[in-house]
Amino acid sequence: MQSLEEFEWQREFEAAARRPLEQRLRYAFIHTYKPILDDAEFRSFDTMAEYRAFCRSLPDWLGYGD
Amino acid sequence: MAAFDYRQALEIRDAFHVHEIRYLFIGKSGAILLGFPDTTQDADLFVEKSVINGERLVAALHDLGFRLTDQEAEEVRRGKDFIQLKNGPFDLDLIFAPDGIERFENAWQRRVEVEGFTVCHIDDIIASKQATNRRKDRESLPRLLSFREWWKQNRR
Repeated sequence: MQSLEEFEWQREFEAAARRPLEQRLRYAFIHTYKPILDDAEFRSFDTMAEYRAFCRSLPDWLGYGD
Repeated sequence: MAAFDYRQALEIRDAFHVHEIRYLFIGKSGAILLGFPDTTQDADLFVEKSVINGERLVAALHDLGFRLTDQEAEEVRRGKDFIQLKNGPFDLDLIFAPDGIERFENAWQRRVEVEGFTVCHIDDIIASKQATNRRKDRESLPRLLSFREWWKQNRR
């Protein structure tokens, strides 16, 4: 049994499928400033574990932590 | 920095094609290419880690307008597990070892082509998000799982 929320989602998926790719991408990418994350031009991590540790140091509200 | 746009996606696709790079869109940007209606901030690319692919990747990034120092270029060439680029015309995350996907070759075999873009299969995108398990991933997973169900039934 599908919930009302899932039913709404499926309708959204169907509507998106009717839009051309260019239009889908135009609405999909947004830019907002993310403190710390956006303050360096280049970052690299030898391992994903190192990257995850860095994510945990970001402000909690960004949602990158566990 | 303006938001990533369709023209820039085409530039990636075309530059990576010219340089014969083995890569896959992954993460939410990959899901969006598959048709998932949602928003994201940057493009995530799963790139095969190999000497030749690394060389080609540096050349393509240069063509796209990324300003890499010699040391940064070397790190890209070497394929460090995760590289975040904000020194070009748009933000780009390069992932050489995403959580939840054992080998690039496996994901490549399952790839989906969307108007010339090579994209991870929705199963791999979800597996990666489940393994990453960040709060923002957990929040988006129920809708993404619902999309997978819809996509598998309606894939054209």
